[in-house]
Amino acid sequence: MDFALNKEQELFGSYVRKYLTEQGTTNIARAFINGDRQRFDQAFQGLVELGYPSINVSEDYAGMGLGLLDMVLPLEEMGRSVLPGLFLETNSFAVPLIEKYGTEKQKQKYLPAIADGSLQISVAWIEPKGSYKASSIQVSGVEKGDDFVLNGVKSLVADVELADTFLVPIRTTSSSHEEGISLFLVDKAMIKNVTQQQSIDETRKLSQIHFEDVIVNKEQLLGELNEGDNILEEGLLSFNASICAIMVGCMAAIVDMAAEYAKIREQFGQPIGRFQAIKHAIANMKVDLELSRSLSYYANWAYDTAAEDRQESIFAGRIFIHNALQKAAAANVQIHGGIGFTEELDCHLYVKRARYYEHYLGSRESYYEKAAAALGW
Amino acid sequence: MDFSFSKKEEKFRQELRTWLEENLPQGWLHGDRELPEDINEYSRFLRDWQRKLYEGGWGAIAWPKAYGGREASLIEEIIYQQEMVRVSAPPLVNYVGIHMVAPLLMQMGSGEQKSAYITKIISGEEIWCQGYSEPNAGSDLTAIQTTAVKKGDRWVINGQKVWTSFGHLADRCFLLARTSKGEKKHHGITVFLLDMHQEGVETRPIIQMDGEHEFNEVYLNDAIAYDSDIVGEIDRGWQVMIALLMHERTGIGGQVFTLEQQFQDLVTMAKEWTEDGQSVIKKESVRNALIDLYAKSRGSLLNYYRNLTKTLKKGQPGSEGSLDKLIVSEATQELFALSLSIQGPHGILWKQDAAIGDSYWQNKYLYSFGMTIGGGTSEVQRNTIAERILGLPKDLGR
Repeated sequence: MDFALNKEQELFGSYVRKYLTEQGTTNIARAFINGDRQRFDQAFQGLVELGYPSINVSEDYAGMGLGLLDMVLPLEEMGRSVLPGLFLETNSFAVPLIEKYGTEKQKQKYLPAIADGSLQISVAWIEPKGSYKASSIQVSGVEKGDDFVLNGVKSLVADVELADTFLVPIRTTSSSHEEGISLFLVDKAMIKNVTQQQSIDETRKLSQIHFEDVIVNKEQLLGELNEGDNILEEGLLSFNASICAIMVGCMAAIVDMAAEYAKIREQFGQPIGRFQAIKHAIANMKVDLELSRSLSYYANWAYDTAAEDRQESIFAGRIFIHNALQKAAAANVQIHGGIGFTEELDCHLYVKRARYYEHYLGSRESYYEKAAAALGW
Repeated sequence: MDFSFSKKEEKFRQELRTWLEENLPQGWLHGDRELPEDINEYSRFLRDWQRKLYEGGWGAIAWPKAYGGREASLIEEIIYQQEMVRVSAPPLVNYVGIHMVAPLLMQMGSGEQKSAYITKIISGEEIWCQGYSEPNAGSDLTAIQTTAVKKGDRWVINGQKVWTSFGHLADRCFLLARTSKGEKKHHGITVFLLDMHQEGVETRPIIQMDGEHEFNEVYLNDAIAYDSDIVGEIDRGWQVMIALLMHERTGIGGQVFTLEQQFQDLVTMAKEWTEDGQSVIKKESVRNALIDLYAKSRGSLLNYYRNLTKTLKKGQPGSEGSLDKLIVSEATQELFALSLSIQGPHGILWKQDAAIGDSYWQNKYLYSFGMTIGGGTSEVQRNTIAERILGLPKDLGR
């Protein structure tokens, strides 16, 4: 019985914390919001030097060959800083799928480049007014010789500017496959028409991608034709295990922030942390944080060890942790009072990121359904 | 990270499991778990069970071998609790004696006290209760008003205790009484090992909101104790009480394992309970509430294991115990509230008219209200979490 991360994992987490603290934590996100990418690029390069993007790339492709559990603490640190970037999409979603379903050529092309930080992947899944369900996917791919010709619009695509390649589910319906969805790796060079979308969470720049006769070679198909739906489901396991960790990091920062403020802010002649209305609100956050952390560690462990209960642990974990984060982020504003409502303090960054995660790559409702299905209910 | 138990630990589990199968009261494993109604028979039943555990070497596994224990490791104690929960073993009537009083006496009791009490505790010959809370001293134990005054060679004790578990069955009481008015409220308190079988001690039952009687009021009218009944030093009982709490090594492990089992029972109930011919687990609202509770009960267990890992590495438990206590008591309360909601309008039926079996869900629901009060209220736990873990300033008035 040993439910703790090991020394190496702790050490790696502390390196990332030290580095992001030096880089100014949420100031990276603030600069990014204001259109200054330089600070983010610098932070990203630093994380590359620490080895982050290579953690779960296998050793055959110049990675470290480690698991999701090794990414938990670095992700918590990124959550603390509300860091922009495609860390989840690239390492937690795309890497496990390319490792499992990629052709040798695809692996050679993408994995070493991801590991050395020269390539990032975003996910172009949902469509205007659509859902994440397979039945909702309308962007079409028509076979033409060695290529597929793509047409349609993807929406809410995160950080097109940072991405080099997109994972795109495409409807490849044919007479033999009425519900065929296939997954393509579409390189940015092929995409010409992108329009930006304003998002509440400005640490993520969202866009619509307009596919207008975009030609993609068959070699860019990930996995079997018309098997895209199942492959995406698998990607959601690793993605959600990681999103648990990043949300825990957001909460950890919130609890620190609220507790520190309650110690120094005085009203009625004493620190507001002496009042139980404030004190207990913070204690509740702390309880939720520790429950979330335990669920997150377990979800990641369950993924790495292919434990029998990995699906329910990951999906129910995401639901619980997201809910806890959203509550904590809101309570943090309230505890700070007037100053918490301003743009100046970081409170709003966490509120907005929490909202961003609510339905990202799968609605809350869909995760209830998936968790129940995994439990056999 | 490793959730498995070692071969040696699994061997221990198997040995205990086999012993339980052979020694639990007749019919117990097959669901025949009615405890006697009559108070004397009830007392005899639980004492017999304690004695059986003792004779089998399972009475107080963490104790030194010299006192009849087996010097069990912390992990073995955890396994012991898991196995007891698995078979819904009869309650441990002498919990206070085994987990608190005797270990404390081994640490700081006189030679006379050790030889007089320890063996009788493990064998179930003498049952112990705690005399802490008073009508005006609940969360604030320093406010106790029960007094002990020295007259000749006797200490004369007057006052009232309340919420005394098993006080009506107990032979002796671990009692806090005020022996002087100290500079601070927690000064001047002394611990007495009080004989419950005397004229000056009267117990009266408290009937709880679930209709059961587990707790008592204890009235002390010129009750008598002697110097030899004092543990530690006069007026320094607060330190003795703190030392006593440190002996409860496994924290709320038993409740955590129980919650895990109760959650499974709830899921089974939700599958079997039908409304207009359909299992209610198929209803979206029920399903979602159960998923939320699944996360919370798994989270309770995992958080307990994470804190246990810390305790194993550090050698002693930290303030995180208050977190686990708060989590498990509130989750249990939520679970039983949901269990009644699931039964729809019929959830209100009680006792012989209850819709399911022996009114298990209704009884547990009512009982669960005590869980966030007893053993330190949720408010006190939140104070502890905020002050000891997060370093927030102490409350007003303290």
